[in-house]
Amino acid sequence: MAKSKHIASRTVSYLIAAAGALIILLPFYVTLITAFKTPQESAQNFFSFPKSLYLENFKTVFAKAGYFKYFMNSVVVTVSSLILIYILVTMISYAIARNMKRHVYYKFIFGFIVLGMFVPFQVIMVPLVQFMGGLGMSNKFGLILLHVTYAAMQGVFLLVNYIQNVPVDLEEAAYIDGCTTIQAYVKVVLPLLKPMTSTVIVLNALWVWNDFQMPLMILNKLPDTWTLPLFQYNFKSQYSFDYNMAFASYLIAMVPVLIAYILAQKNIVKGLTAGAVKS
Amino acid sequence: MKKTKLVQRNQVLFLFTLPILIMYCVFFIVPLLMGMKNSFTDWSGTSADYNFIGIQNYIKIFQDERFRNALVFNFKYTFLLTVATVVISLIVAIVLNQKIKARGFFRSIYFLPAILSLVTVGLIWNELFYRMIPAIGEATGWGLFQSSWLGSPKLAMYAILIVNLWQGCATPIVLLIAGLQSVPVDLYEAASIDGASAWEKFKSITIPYLIPVLNMVIVTCVKGGLTTFDYIKAMTDGGPMQSTESVGILIYNHAMQEGKFGYSVAESMILFVIIALVSVVTMRMSNSKKVGD
Repeated sequence: MAKSKHIASRTVSYLIAAAGALIILLPFYVTLITAFKTPQESAQNFFSFPKSLYLENFKTVFAKAGYFKYFMNSVVVTVSSLILIYILVTMISYAIARNMKRHVYYKFIFGFIVLGMFVPFQVIMVPLVQFMGGLGMSNKFGLILLHVTYAAMQGVFLLVNYIQNVPVDLEEAAYIDGCTTIQAYVKVVLPLLKPMTSTVIVLNALWVWNDFQMPLMILNKLPDTWTLPLFQYNFKSQYSFDYNMAFASYLIAMVPVLIAYILAQKNIVKGLTAGAVKS
Repeated sequence: MKKTKLVQRNQVLFLFTLPILIMYCVFFIVPLLMGMKNSFTDWSGTSADYNFIGIQNYIKIFQDERFRNALVFNFKYTFLLTVATVVISLIVAIVLNQKIKARGFFRSIYFLPAILSLVTVGLIWNELFYRMIPAIGEATGWGLFQSSWLGSPKLAMYAILIVNLWQGCATPIVLLIAGLQSVPVDLYEAASIDGASAWEKFKSITIPYLIPVLNMVIVTCVKGGLTTFDYIKAMTDGGPMQSTESVGILIYNHAMQEGKFGYSVAESMILFVIIALVSVVTMRMSNSKKVGD
């Protein structure tokens, strides 16, 4: 009796896992097949497998729509944002964590910056457009600085809590050996912070690469600077009559992230959970 | 010697704080204050001059039916999103934490949606709803499936919700699996010896260990639901007949398309207060359920 109950619960588990996986995969399947079909073929049967590999959709997206330009914009924005986040956010978090108990200045800026996490983007969305326009920074550079600023709020919160639990002995040993503060920070502290810095990098890589709201606010008037999500949004209104082409554009926008995911899957999952679940 | 070194160290640490602090003030605090100021004006967003009109914007908003409808939409949406996310993610996490075959494969699949942009996801589902729903309707003859749900004022919200859940459960599932793995196995064994049922074990062992993760999931869902923007922009843009106009979309429309800049900032200030209140209440509620300390 216990055994049959066990088998029954096992079967239910498989059913749930498989049904969920099908629901997850369906949009991917549809994107893949539609991108390789002609409009006529799709009209006949939306869900059938393509009869032949039709590549015109891709040619158009690459040639006419200039996919590569938007891809490079996304790469530049994401990579620059992540480098700045890694350097600057870790620096301030380290300073706050080490001096918070000694000096009221550090305690104050910690609360001041973390408070920003509770302000929804919509609150500053509208003034931001006006402000960035006034500074002449409605461009990729401005967008990068905005991403770094908004990443800092959560980043400082996660990193400060983490650094406070990292023992100071190693740094002190480095000072005795004659290291300067910066040398000790780079050589001793940074390697110790790797679990939490990778969480911060993974979270922000996903956010910056896929972000739509900020580019929409800052870059929408300058088509040359569009990032991929913005390009897709505008592509839809431009080519709404030809959804096979639209799906080809979705597919090639997905491919880079899918490759990154397949290559770094373990690290991504580890990075996400290291910060969230304290062991 | 030692003292000069300490002074030097403190100088360096002070310099460490400056770049982010300056950026935070310039790109966050200044726009925030500008917004607060603009919310007391009748500025259209493009006109050269404007007048200070005190709290008139705020008074108007409280009488504005469109704002009220948007707020009701947000609350309904947030409630359904949070409950459904917690239930679905918990079930999937428990299933994927069992020793089933191809567990690793399933886990990779379930996280896939999290790496895509919300816009791409919205646009793909848009097309799916237009093709799939009528196809199901034809096959079954059910009235509910006659045409895409996105075109119906009654069903559009649920369509958006489905898409949001499709993508939004991915990260909670990963987090909950990690949470489940942090539960010591011997606790379950001890409970089994004491004759506890599966439900009792779940209630008094699993849930307490998951509370910190669940807290995070709930707070993220609530904030995401109250500020929802991307999916709606990509799928319905607030339609049909303003039935999916969330506060986020309303603020965008007022500011960017309807020339009510000052008014829209006032709306966003009210949204801020609501989110702050709801966040505090949710955190209080879920913290009070924490067991064991």
